[in-house]
Amino acid sequence: MKNKKIIKSSIISLTVLVVCFIFCLINNFTIKNDYLNSSFFILGVLFTSVFTDGYLYGVLSATLSTFIVNFAFTEPYFNLDFSVAENIISSLILYIVALVTCTITSKLKYQESMKTKIETEIMRGNLLRAISHDLKTPLTTIYGSSSALLDDFDKYSREQKFKMLKGIKEDSHWLIRMVENLLSVTKLEDGNVKINKTETALDELIDSILIKFQKNYPDIEVSVDIPDELVSIPMDPMLIQQVVINILENAVQHAEGMTELSMKVFTISQKAIFEIRDNGCGIAPDKLKNIFLGNFSTDQSNKNGRVTNMGIGLSLCATIIKAHGGDIVAENIKTGGALFRFTLNMEKNEVEEDEQQQ
Amino acid sequence: MNSNNKYKILIVEDEDNINTLLSALLETNGYQVISSRTAQGGLMLFNSHKPDLIILDLGLPDLDGKELLKKIRREHLTPIIVLSARSDEKDKILALDLGANDYVTKPFGSGELVARVRSCLRNSATLSGGGHSPGKTFESDGLLIDYDSRRVFIDSVEIKLTQTEYNIIAFLSEYPGKVMTYSAIIKAIWGYNDLGSTKKLQVNMANIRKKFGAKPGKKNYIINELGVGYRMCERD
Repeated sequence: MKNKKIIKSSIISLTVLVVCFIFCLINNFTIKNDYLNSSFFILGVLFTSVFTDGYLYGVLSATLSTFIVNFAFTEPYFNLDFSVAENIISSLILYIVALVTCTITSKLKYQESMKTKIETEIMRGNLLRAISHDLKTPLTTIYGSSSALLDDFDKYSREQKFKMLKGIKEDSHWLIRMVENLLSVTKLEDGNVKINKTETALDELIDSILIKFQKNYPDIEVSVDIPDELVSIPMDPMLIQQVVINILENAVQHAEGMTELSMKVFTISQKAIFEIRDNGCGIAPDKLKNIFLGNFSTDQSNKNGRVTNMGIGLSLCATIIKAHGGDIVAENIKTGGALFRFTLNMEKNEVEEDEQQQ
Repeated sequence: MNSNNKYKILIVEDEDNINTLLSALLETNGYQVISSRTAQGGLMLFNSHKPDLIILDLGLPDLDGKELLKKIRREHLTPIIVLSARSDEKDKILALDLGANDYVTKPFGSGELVARVRSCLRNSATLSGGGHSPGKTFESDGLLIDYDSRRVFIDSVEIKLTQTEYNIIAFLSEYPGKVMTYSAIIKAIWGYNDLGSTKKLQVNMANIRKKFGAKPGKKNYIINELGVGYRMCERD
């Protein structure tokens, strides 16, 4: 990575110098104005300073330019002569241009990195606020119901107790899902994302997903269409399982009027394509645009008035798929309903093979 | 009921609330429970009470649960169920390879935990060290394995398996209800673990599933533990 940068910067510096040199040669045979020569090199140093990192290349190319101008393009030709005042001044100008430009460029780059940092911080802040708000609702149920039961256990009817306990269970389940998502978010947003990919048999993945999903939504049937032959895809199976479950849950919670939920996986030239579609109400166009960006607004409630964690869920899907080097899209189907599609690469490299063997 | 007839379960867990929950849950289900909040205390209770099963939390204040697991496994075969807050597969595999019989990830449902305890106790009661006596068979919900003739039946219809496929099924059926890690299965079937053995196992498992007519998401004879291994469905 660092070597690449050095090579890139060196190539830029040299190319610019060569181009200046050529311009000067042309000048010497056509216009024959010596002042133009140093102007060409000033421009050259400016370019180098803007397009390379740090001060090194700007200063180096200023030095080289000084020598070239002095040696080849000012009188006396083909002779290094620093006693002439204008030569010293033009060399000084070159250095000043290099230093000033490098300073400005570095500052700009630093500000840009600060800007993205601030943006992530703001997003994190929004996320935190949304979560804290979202956490209050289930915690109210859990704390309220359990303390009520503890205080006046005998006062409530059997049915009331059953209902309160059921509420505690449902809301804790919601919290569990939220925490699972948050854990993955922090795991992935920790700077260097390193996905631990292992070859995973597709039908085993789908089997696990369906079993987990049906445990929580026993009434919802998911029809599945996967290839007959064994398809093995390098992935972090737990994270991909989370992606699919998040998308399925999103359909259950948001696709109003849904009667069919289906999942299809097929392969095209070393890519595995996962499609999950429902025949519900579809996604509102204004939401479709930013659906994976984390829509953390807290006024979004589903029909039960319960705030959902799907803003986090879907943005997590995008993060996971991107970390796998794949793509994810959401669209509306013409005949009604929404379609989520993501792709995973099936080519693997040796590193992954090694990890698999551990 | 005489408490001597009950299975004795040792809980080693430092969280008071979880400890209380586990004790209540297991006592209600007819087990005798002793519990410790530290690894040292757990080891003492283990030595003095000789429990039939241990439920062990991996995150203990005085000693890593894995160390305690190793200490106990050095001399005893008492079944151990590991409780882990981490849903990281590597942790589960490590615990299983260190000799844990099963693991339950926190947060767990009560039904799940009791089922695991029951299955662990049953396995340790009926099986000691694998091997089959003549005429022995395995039966579970329509699946029948005849170890003598090396044949497998589903609902009395014979399923034609290759040597390797049979070996895998027979191996898994020796430990019904227990997760066998990929590497444990590979070692048992091929004796060595090299590049591509996982793939070999995956291919064989896919063939077995096809021959068994397994449907994803439905109740199958072999349960996938994603990223960890496989578990043979228990006999009824």
